[in-house]
Amino acid sequence: MSELAIRRGAAPALAVEGLTYTYPRAAAPALLDVSLEVAPGEFVLLAGRSASGKSTLLRAACGLVPHFHGGEVGGRVEVAGMDAIAAGPGELAATVGYLAQDPETQVVSTTVAAEIELPLEMRGDGPGDRARAVEEVALALAIPHLLGRAVDTLSGGELQRVALAAALVTRPRLVLLDEPTSQLDPVSGDELIWLLRRLNEEWGVAVVLAEHRLERCLAAADRVVAVAGGRIGFDGPPREFLAWTREADPTLTTPAARLFSLAGIEPLPVGVRDARRLLGERGAWPGEASVTPVPHPGEGRGGKTLPTDRPLRFAALRKRREDAALAAANLWVELDDGEGARDVLRGIDLTVAPGERVALMGRNGAGKSTLLRAAAGLIDPAAGRVAAERMALLTQNPSDYLVRERVGDELPGAAGLAALRAVGMEHAIDADPRDLSGGERQRLALAIALAGRLDGDGVPGLVALDEPTRGMDRGRKDDLVALVDRLAERGAAVLIATHDVEFAAEFAQRVVLLGDGVVIADGPSAEILSGGWYFATEVARVLDVPGVVSPEHGASLIAGGAA
Amino acid sequence: MRSAFAYIPRRGPLQQARPGAAVAYLGSLVVVAFLYSSPLVLVAAGLAACVAGRLAGARSAVRAALRMGLGLALLIVVVNALVVDRGETVLARLGHWPLLGQVDVTLEAIVAGVSIGLRAAVTMVAFAVYSACVDPDRVLRALRPLAARSALTASLVSRLVPVAAADAGRLRDAALLRGPGAAPVGRGPLARRLLAGSLDRAVDVAATLELRGYSLGGPRGARRREPSRHDARFYAVALAVLAAAIVGKAVGADDFHAYPRIHIGTGASTLAVCAVVLASGLAPWRRRRRGHRV
Repeated sequence: MSELAIRRGAAPALAVEGLTYTYPRAAAPALLDVSLEVAPGEFVLLAGRSASGKSTLLRAACGLVPHFHGGEVGGRVEVAGMDAIAAGPGELAATVGYLAQDPETQVVSTTVAAEIELPLEMRGDGPGDRARAVEEVALALAIPHLLGRAVDTLSGGELQRVALAAALVTRPRLVLLDEPTSQLDPVSGDELIWLLRRLNEEWGVAVVLAEHRLERCLAAADRVVAVAGGRIGFDGPPREFLAWTREADPTLTTPAARLFSLAGIEPLPVGVRDARRLLGERGAWPGEASVTPVPHPGEGRGGKTLPTDRPLRFAALRKRREDAALAAANLWVELDDGEGARDVLRGIDLTVAPGERVALMGRNGAGKSTLLRAAAGLIDPAAGRVAAERMALLTQNPSDYLVRERVGDELPGAAGLAALRAVGMEHAIDADPRDLSGGERQRLALAIALAGRLDGDGVPGLVALDEPTRGMDRGRKDDLVALVDRLAERGAAVLIATHDVEFAAEFAQRVVLLGDGVVIADGPSAEILSGGWYFATEVARVLDVPGVVSPEHGASLIAGGAA
Repeated sequence: MRSAFAYIPRRGPLQQARPGAAVAYLGSLVVVAFLYSSPLVLVAAGLAACVAGRLAGARSAVRAALRMGLGLALLIVVVNALVVDRGETVLARLGHWPLLGQVDVTLEAIVAGVSIGLRAAVTMVAFAVYSACVDPDRVLRALRPLAARSALTASLVSRLVPVAAADAGRLRDAALLRGPGAAPVGRGPLARRLLAGSLDRAVDVAATLELRGYSLGGPRGARRREPSRHDARFYAVALAVLAAAIVGKAVGADDFHAYPRIHIGTGASTLAVCAVVLASGLAPWRRRRRGHRV
C-alpha cells in the first residue's frame, strides 16, 4: 500500500464489524460474523469460490444489502465514517463506486456518453466538468470510440467497460468491483487492473475487487481477503495467501504458484515479474527462451496421448468440410451498431471437426459471439455460408434461459436430472433460479441447453458455449472441462468463446484467434497460447518457452533443466 | 437485432420536443380513446396515432403495434361475442357451451367488442410511437424533479419498455436453443418471464440509479435545459384535442350505443371531433426547407 495514499487518521474507507446477513427466504446466512477494515488507499482482493459470499459483502458495502435485497442483517458497516446500513446506496453514491457482476443490469441510459455522464449530472457538475471527466475516463478505459454508440448494440465486454467507466467517473473514494474482468479480453483485463492500481496509488482510491482469475490481479493487491462459506477464511498479504491456499483450498492458487509448488521452489510468486525474478535468483530457468517451437508433449487430459502429427491433421481436417461439425466459408455478417451497418465478420473460413475442442478467442467486439450466433442460425449471413451439424448453443446471458420459478420445472424427467447432475446442480432442484449465484445460474443455463443431448444419438454435432466461465471458480471450471471432454469423447465438437486464457489452455486442443472480424491465428493451443503477450497463460509469460503453457509442463521443464 | 419499439434518435419534431410535450400530445389521443366509445372517433384517434408515427419516422413501431393491437382487438371481439348475449340481431346460435351456457352471437356484441378493441389498439399504437420517438434518457431526467426519491418509479416509466423490448428478442433466441430434455417454453411462460424479468430488471436499473446518485440533492439545473421550438406546437395540439374531446363529449358527440340495437351517430359534433383528432396526427409533420443559395 502506498504510504502517500494512506491518509493517516482518516476514517477507514470501509469498516465491517460482526456482519451477518441472510437473504429473504434463504435457509442459511450468506455472511456470518464478518469483520474487515479497508484503509483509504488500500487495494484489497476478495478471493473465494462461487457463492462464498464475496458479492454479498460488496453489496453490503455499497448499501444494496439490505436496502434493495431485503433480508435480515446484523452488525455494522461503515463507509468513510457513514453508516451504510442506515444510509443506503443513494446516500453512499458520492463516496462509493460499484460495478456488479452483470453489466447488463447496470445500464440506465440509451447511449454510452449519456450513461457515463449520468452520475456527474446527478451530482450537479457543470457541462465543462462533465465533458472533461467523460473524456478522461473514456480514454483511461480505451472506449472513446464507443461514446456515440447506443448501449444496446455493445458486446458484453464493451458493456462491462462502459459500466465501469460510469462507476469510476466521479472518482469515488471507495471502488467496489465484482468480477470486473469476467467479460474483458486479456488486454483490457490487464489494463483495467493497472488502471485501478494507478487510481489507487495516485488518488488514494481504496479498491475492493472480487475476482476468480487471481493471476490477473494478485500482483497489484496490497492484501487478500479470502471468503469461505460466508466467513473470512484468510486476511493477509498476497504471498501468505498463496501459502495458505496450499493447505486450505488449492483451487484458489494461481498457475505460477502451482508451477513453483510442483517444481519445489519457494517462496511462491505473486505475479509474472516476481516469478521471473525468483527463477533468476535461484538459477532455475528451464533454459534460454527459444524461438524454435518446442514440441507439444502430446498428452491430453487423463494421460491420453494425442496424435503427434497434429499440424498435418489440422490441414487435412480443413479440407474435409463435408464431414465437419462446423464449416464456415467466406462468411460475412453485417450488423447495425446504431451508427449504421457494419461488417462484424469479414470473410471467415473455419472448419471444426467432430470431437475437436476449440477455443475461440479475441478482443471484445472481435466477432466471437456473432460467429456463434450465425452458426446457430440466429443471424443471417450477408455473404458466404455457414453450416453446423445439430448445434447446441449457450449464449452469453444465462438468465435468458431461466423461465420458470423452480429449477426442477426447467428440467423435468430423467433427461433433465441427468443434465443437472452433469453440471453439479442436482442439489438445487427445488431452488428458484433467481436465487442462485451468478456461477450457479451459468451452470443451470448450460444444463438447459444440453438437456437430452448428453447421451446416445442426442449428442449434438457441435456444442458452442459463449463465455461459460463467467462467475465460476476454478473447481467449477475443472468440472466444465470434464464435461467438455465427455462431450468430445462422444463425438461432439466443442467450440467455446472465452477470454479466460487459463481455461482455454485447459480444455482446448486448438485456438482460433479473431481480430476485427477475421481469423488472425489458428493453431494448436500450446502454440497460440505461448506465443503472445496477452493471449498467453501465466506460465507461458513466466517461462517464455514456446509450447509451454501449463504448470505441469513448465515444472517438468524446470526439473529437467535443474537436473 | 433491435426491437421495433426501441428508441432511435432522429431529427424529427416529436423526437426533439421535450418529453412533457410529446407525452401530452400522444397522451391526448389516449385520453380520447378512453373518453369515447364511438367507433368513428376511435378510428380517427387510431389513424391520427398511425400518421403521427409515420411522420415521426417510427414506421416499424407503428406496424408492430398495429399487428399486436389488432390481434388483441380481434381477441376482444371474439370473447365479447361469446360472453355477451345482449342485442337484437342474432347472427348465430351456437347452442349450449360448458361454463358459458347458451351462446348466441349478436351483431351488437361484435360491434361493442370492436369499440373496446379499437380503444386498446389506439392505446398500443400511441404507446409504441412514444417508445420509439421519445428519448428515455430525457424522460429519466425530466422525472427527477418529480420523483427524486423514487428511482424505481423513474426506471419503470422510462426504461420498462426499452428493457422489455431488448429482453424479448434474447428470450426468444434462448427459447429456441433449449435442449430437447428441457421443459419447452410456450408463449405463456415466455410472456410471464418477460413481464417478471422486466420488473426485476427495472428494480436492477433502479438500484443502479441509486448507486449513480439519482436521489442526491445535486442542483437540478446543472444540465442545460433543452427547449425545443416544437414544444409549443405539441402542447397546443394536445390542448386542442382535449378541449374538442371534452366539449364534444358534453354536447353529445360520443353518439354511440350498441345495445339493444346499434346506433352510430354521425352528427356535426361527432364529425367535428373526428376532424380535430384526425388533423392532430399531422403535428409531427416536418416542413422540409430548400437550402439557401449564397
